[in-house]
Amino acid sequence: MKAVGARLPRYDGVAHVTGRTVFVDDVRVPGTLWVKALRSPVHHADITRLDTSAAETMKGVHAVVTWQDVPLLEYGHLSALGIPADEPLLAKDEVRYKGQPIAIVAAEDEETAMAAVAAMKLDLQEKPALFDVRKAFDADAPVVHQWGNWYPHFEAEMDRRQIRKGDIDRAFADADVIVQGVYRPAAIEHVPVETQSCQVVPEANGRLTIYSCTQALYFSLGVVAAHLQVPLNRLKVVGGTVGGGFGGKVDTATETMCCLLAQKSGRPVRWRWTREEEFLCSSTRAPWHMEIADAVTEDGWILGRKMLTLHDSGAYARFSPYGLTKHSFHHTGAYTIPNLHFDGYVVFTNRVPTTAMRGFGVTSVSFATETHVSRIAEVLGVDPWEIRLKNANRIGDTSPNGVAYADPSTVPVVKALADGVGAKLAPNLQAMTPAAREGDLLPEHLVAQIGNPEDH
Amino acid sequence: MNLTVNGVAHEVESGPLTSLLDVLREELAITSPKAGCEQGGCGACTVLVDGVARRSCLTPVASVQGTEITTVEGLGSPSDLSPLQQAFTHHYAAQCGFCTSGMMLAAQAYIDGGGSDGHEAIQEAIAGHVCRCTGYVKIIDAIAAVARGDEFDLTVTASSAGMVNLGGAV
Amino acid sequence: MAVHRGRGIAAIEYPTGMNQNGDPSQAWIKVKPDGRIDVFAGTSDIGNGSKTIQSQIVAETIGVPYDWVTYDNSNTDSSPVCTGTFASRATFVAGKAVEKAALKVREKILEIAGKELEIDPSDLEIVDGEVVAKGAPQKKIGVPDVAAAATWGHGELITGTGAQLKPYATIVDPETGRVDLPPHSAISYASCAAEVEVDDETGVVRVLHLWQCYDVGRAINPTLVEGQIEGGAVQGLGLGVLENCYPYYPSAEHRGGQFGSYLAPGAENLPQIDTIIIENPSSDGPYGAKGIGEMANNGQPPAIAAAVYDAVGVWVTELPITPEKVLRALAAKAEPRRAGKLVVFDEELSVNAVSDGGIRFEVPA
Repeated sequence: MKAVGARLPRYDGVAHVTGRTVFVDDVRVPGTLWVKALRSPVHHADITRLDTSAAETMKGVHAVVTWQDVPLLEYGHLSALGIPADEPLLAKDEVRYKGQPIAIVAAEDEETAMAAVAAMKLDLQEKPALFDVRKAFDADAPVVHQWGNWYPHFEAEMDRRQIRKGDIDRAFADADVIVQGVYRPAAIEHVPVETQSCQVVPEANGRLTIYSCTQALYFSLGVVAAHLQVPLNRLKVVGGTVGGGFGGKVDTATETMCCLLAQKSGRPVRWRWTREEEFLCSSTRAPWHMEIADAVTEDGWILGRKMLTLHDSGAYARFSPYGLTKHSFHHTGAYTIPNLHFDGYVVFTNRVPTTAMRGFGVTSVSFATETHVSRIAEVLGVDPWEIRLKNANRIGDTSPNGVAYADPSTVPVVKALADGVGAKLAPNLQAMTPAAREGDLLPEHLVAQIGNPEDH
Repeated sequence: MNLTVNGVAHEVESGPLTSLLDVLREELAITSPKAGCEQGGCGACTVLVDGVARRSCLTPVASVQGTEITTVEGLGSPSDLSPLQQAFTHHYAAQCGFCTSGMMLAAQAYIDGGGSDGHEAIQEAIAGHVCRCTGYVKIIDAIAAVARGDEFDLTVTASSAGMVNLGGAV
Repeated sequence: MAVHRGRGIAAIEYPTGMNQNGDPSQAWIKVKPDGRIDVFAGTSDIGNGSKTIQSQIVAETIGVPYDWVTYDNSNTDSSPVCTGTFASRATFVAGKAVEKAALKVREKILEIAGKELEIDPSDLEIVDGEVVAKGAPQKKIGVPDVAAAATWGHGELITGTGAQLKPYATIVDPETGRVDLPPHSAISYASCAAEVEVDDETGVVRVLHLWQCYDVGRAINPTLVEGQIEGGAVQGLGLGVLENCYPYYPSAEHRGGQFGSYLAPGAENLPQIDTIIIENPSSDGPYGAKGIGEMANNGQPPAIAAAVYDAVGVWVTELPITPEKVLRALAAKAEPRRAGKLVVFDEELSVNAVSDGGIRFEVPA
């Protein structure tokens, strides 16, 4: 019996259909307190006063936590990749997006927790907010972030992600046609049906058991331990069963705060975000602004691409510099373009920080570049199948950052699709394979990028 | 207040305006109905009230006093799966599983009402039930299979159909 | 006023594993005294089916029935490191770690079976839960008997660990973006065709049909692969025509806080979906698998945008393609600006039109 390649039943299938799967919010621990958060009501402001004393003394309230209670307030989730910390777990003296958590409370029940939040006194000095990434660079733009309006910490402290390959000026000089366009996919919500949920139980031996809906058990373990400044063995993350993630549950959105409340109150605590919090305060897929100019020949070769990307990161960096780097590495899509000039910026705005979502960094560029290729085909009057097959990645072609493709499949997937929709390909296209370029498929402009990528 | 859930009578202590969802989950610890939105928008809390699919988050418990409530636990058990549970398993209609209970109860009401295996009718029956994982394809397949009266072999099978194997690096 | 049909296509690619790598997964496996297999890994199952996939890999690699495998990803005390279920890595990276651990378990089972059968382990194989001599299938011992012998006779635990880590690819030249190592584990490819119906009176775009072709390397479980592709297709449809957190982007006002004001696709939006799966094995994935979970929503938006153009002759390049945007585009009938060899679309959206000189997009003349 073969297991690999077989239509074996889902390991968790029967549990799912009988209601036996235990998600975080299904965990029942006696004596559990409810958690609620005081969140910023405005997009951008200085905090001039936060007084939680009335909440702390309310009947049924067991703990209130603010920035002062967090051992390490700012921890960069991708510090290991050289992206420094910029986001406080709880806002200290400034709020940069509507919905940003400022204080959290644990109380006997949900109603008491909400009443405690309502009793907190928050004075704000509102400041102008920035929302349009295209205006972030202007002299009169409101300043969003302590680093300015765009991320300045790429390698060698560069303020943008660059890709340079080949000779972009020559490509544009040699072009028959230059096609330019602008592409702007929207921010969208992850919409897991299970909202962000967490339960933390303080154990007798001083450890904390964290029931978490994280997509990344060890990642979240590391994030919580860093904020709490404790060794990993003081924490036990229990999870592995997630009610939908799509990238949004890579954020460790609730775990650390619940741990702080469990420590302070000595009681188990539970936090289940409302759907409104999930929609309005949880991170989103980023909105992107992309401009492309392609230098093309009349018969549909793409000689060169110039591209500008503004990645709307929201109020903090989170994973955005990583996402933009990935975006830049894939900005030629499924094709080989030998001459490239890419500049990308991670731009801060006063919206909820954006984060990973299915296809992170590449969903945007796939939309931009493929729509652009369709437009080029239309402008030139070239068959859309032909332009894709001609420029397709071939074995030995090199990627934007100079890596040779070992087993590219653009050609097989395009041919199989043509077959699937009943499109009839010309014989020369039908005969194509992903094999290394030669003959008509190795025009002058592609010669130099093959073979010695490091010399190119 | 009295409530019968999956054939078991319960004395309920929560206040009359408490949602049926909270009574089930928090008081009776029956956790298959999920608090996906508590706004009536996602369908994950759906239960059957005397056989009719209702959003338990929008249902004050007082309004269902004396009725028979069915949650997914009441359809069948792991050792005795109902036809719908078999179909959802066979067709991989659950991915993360969070919307599954509510989705299945909407489907059960549809089947009990004599629903056909027509895709459009099934789409209408589960409209308003959000599933973010499956794209609904396999959910609809599963419901149609039950409507048709398909039987399922849930033993471990090893069939791999419909693959195009290009072999090696093409 | 009429309803128009159109078709568009797209071809895409996507990396498997974390960008620039450096994302470890580890696994350990132990065998109970009756031969049943316990797998410990830290990979969250977010619905993608990683519990199933990794159990299948273990069953296949050791050579035991699937239902002998117990999979535990429940907590960080018993499970070793897995950076997580993201970056399309749960099958490719974490699945490789369990495959490596299972190979070690297999080796240990063969070693103990060799002692029991007095045959060199290299002359043995495991088939359906039995260790058999190659070429002499009458000489055999069940894996349960091997496990019992290990426990009660040899005083040994049959166990194995595995780890998968591709080294971090450093950007050695930030000016050009050059890296010192390949920054991906494998690249997967896919294509998508969309057929849409556009009502030029209401502006409504209805996606009727999506054809999709994916190179998955190897479908460890073909039905789970289909599930990823179908679920991704509907998310791609949402990206293309429905969903938007900021309906008046870049304004942050008028956000929808409930399902009634955020258009996540429902069953009523489901088009016909045809899936074509190609298996072009990767060199380092478990059994040749690649990861396709994420890219599953990347192909539809550009295919839909091209289909809308095919139907009504307007390019809507701000997603989602809402009725309002379609009607505005139809009313504007915008043509690209042509100057010499330049063909310039969407000038009003460019930084050149909106920025007060802070940033420009200059195209080489």
